[in-house]
Amino acid sequence: MKRAKPVVFGALLAAFAAGCTGARPVVVGSKNFTEQVILGEMLAQLLQARNVPVERRLNLGGTLICHRAILAGDLDVYVEYTGTALTAILKEPVSHDASAVYRQVRETYRRDLGLAWTEPLGFENTFAIAMKPETAKTLGIRTISDLKAHGEALRPGAGHEFLEREDGFRGLVDAYDLEFTHRPRGIELGLLYQALMEGEVDFVVGSATDGLIEKFALTVLEDDRSYFPPYDAAAVYRPSTVEREPALAQVLELLEGNLDEAAMRSLNRRVDDEGRTAADVVSSFLEERRWVTPERK
Amino acid sequence: MDTLRFLLERRGDIAQMTLEHVFLVAVSIALAVAIGVPLGILLTRRPSLASPVIGFANVMQTIPSLALFGFLIPVPLIGGIGNRTAIVALALYALLPLLRNTYAGIQSVDPSVVEAGRGMGMTDLQRLRLIEIPLALPTVLAGVRISTVNAIGLATIAAAIGAGGLGTLIFRGLSMVDSRLILAGAVPAAVLALVADGLLGRFEKRFGWDR
Amino acid sequence: MSGPAVELRNVSKKFGANARPVMDRVSFRIEPGETVVLLGSSGAGKTTTLRTINRLVEPDDGEVEVEGREVRSWDPIRLRRRTGYVIQDVGLLPHLSIAENVELVPKLEGWSPERRNERARELLAFVGLAPERFASKRPKELSGGERQRVGVARALAVDPPLLLMDEPFGALDAVNRRRMQDEFLEMKQKLGKTIVIVTHDVPEAMKLGDRIGVMHAGRLLQMGPPSEILGRPANDFVAELVQSAEADGGARRVPPPRARGEGRGEH
Repeated sequence: MKRAKPVVFGALLAAFAAGCTGARPVVVGSKNFTEQVILGEMLAQLLQARNVPVERRLNLGGTLICHRAILAGDLDVYVEYTGTALTAILKEPVSHDASAVYRQVRETYRRDLGLAWTEPLGFENTFAIAMKPETAKTLGIRTISDLKAHGEALRPGAGHEFLEREDGFRGLVDAYDLEFTHRPRGIELGLLYQALMEGEVDFVVGSATDGLIEKFALTVLEDDRSYFPPYDAAAVYRPSTVEREPALAQVLELLEGNLDEAAMRSLNRRVDDEGRTAADVVSSFLEERRWVTPERK
Repeated sequence: MDTLRFLLERRGDIAQMTLEHVFLVAVSIALAVAIGVPLGILLTRRPSLASPVIGFANVMQTIPSLALFGFLIPVPLIGGIGNRTAIVALALYALLPLLRNTYAGIQSVDPSVVEAGRGMGMTDLQRLRLIEIPLALPTVLAGVRISTVNAIGLATIAAAIGAGGLGTLIFRGLSMVDSRLILAGAVPAAVLALVADGLLGRFEKRFGWDR
Repeated sequence: MSGPAVELRNVSKKFGANARPVMDRVSFRIEPGETVVLLGSSGAGKTTTLRTINRLVEPDDGEVEVEGREVRSWDPIRLRRRTGYVIQDVGLLPHLSIAENVELVPKLEGWSPERRNERARELLAFVGLAPERFASKRPKELSGGERQRVGVARALAVDPPLLLMDEPFGALDAVNRRRMQDEFLEMKQKLGKTIVIVTHDVPEAMKLGDRIGVMHAGRLLQMGPPSEILGRPANDFVAELVQSAEADGGARRVPPPRARGEGRGEH
């Protein structure tokens, strides 16, 4: 599989630029939804506060792109989710023991891929099947199993990655024995909730920490058959990067266990609902938490 | 060969999305023709309007397609997620070649034929019907052909905003870094474009009057 | 018809605000059944004058009357249907057959297909094109001379009383031109129509016209039968014109105007 050429070119350019300034930047990546961009921005700003040169490669097209990029050395660090690593990347069978999953993933990455995992950051971001509360109430839907009875009427919507992943839509449909007359619509993640609210789709597969779930007071269906594995967030990084840039280790340590679900959801909401930029939201947050002091920025 | 087997496996998806794709293109081209051709004819009657109107269509074309989709989403009535927005965007893109070709096609009709038509007492409408449109037809059809082929390519972007079509497979392939999926979307789109070009080209030739 | 077929009184026309007038107080009468030739070099205003008669050009000043009625009071469409119009490039519709071209005005006038068809065959024969051979051909298959004949046939389709011809033989070579002129003279007899011809060819004018109107720089210098133009030229310009024609006896153009900025390309 060819790697994304722009990533290589950009990395080369960054390396060249860094060569000119004398220091190689740490390349921070992220996937293409709000929470990921916020996390990537957080890593970047924390590094910059410690005078580490940073190259941002945020909003990359998905899990697999980030994974291949970090394998190839085009990224130095990005935030991944244990469940995703387990099923989508390592293609291992699902387990529901959060710490077992974490250990397995960390060990496999170290042994087979030469990549390292930090301790979990402190929040889980599982897939959330969301519907408008009125719809859920009218149809009496509380759990994912409840969807089965309405397979003819409901129109599903999800991101392109979820629709294609084995452990995504297909796996869900299998596990719950669902059948939908309407084909699921693939939509850019940023537009998912808009589609739901406009009535283009009846339920969407979003993320548990999405800010808009709160804003629109959406009903999140219970995963009663425990289809989804745990998705603890942690950073994946290249050990060689920490060797050449010890400040990265400090930054990662700072985040470990210190970002809980409420905090993440609130950050997401500030971007998605209040329309502020990720950079702006992160910089305010880092000040609030005193993880950076204003002069250091 | 792995790719070929893959395409075969997913032929259901591919067929479905090809239909969606054809729908998107057909409706938007029809819309563009319904607006562009009469507008082009009107411009030949009011040459002072030609510059601004063609200028506007020109600007539409320079807007990057993904951006245009994005701009249209928040617009009330024609916007939103889904294929309606995609159709509006595709129609706007198709407008320029159609407009320009209709206008240029009619302008380039042999002036002595038009003069003869006027002299023999044809009304403006009769001139249009009997002389200008038949003689401009090959050029107009060329515009339709160009617009259609363009639209087939552009419509792949519609998948980003949930409008379906072959772009869906391409986007999925991108997210999974799976070139087979990308091909599953790109190859049928390319084939569609070739077929459209061929069919419409033949149609165009039928009307090639020697001047 | 009593009274003149066509009359112009002090007709003037300018194209553009500061331009020289293309028509400068032009006045003349044409009697029914006459053939009048407007003669002059390019830019003299003769084509413009012609086109005021079928209202393809609207004069700035003066009156133009056809069949005793001001041209402005005619419905322009009706006027043009009653006026045959032949131009130098003919302007046949390339996507129609010869017969369909000739049948155009009858079709516009709502004639039945049989009547149209018969008339087309009649006219093609009249202009010397065998209908069996030519009716279903396309214009591009015909020579210049043949196309010109079709143009005439087309103009005669609904038997208009008035025929306007702008350099009708201008695109033909000398041989064909002579031939067409001779045939025209024959036709003229049979047709009995009022005919106005525009040309820059002096011998042609002398040959075809009952009367000749010599135009220069938008003004009508002299209007009279060929003998009068030859024998009693109104001024030096006309005299020079006539001399050059007599001297050669062959096709000779009106000498192009010496001043610059003329020759608007009125065709």
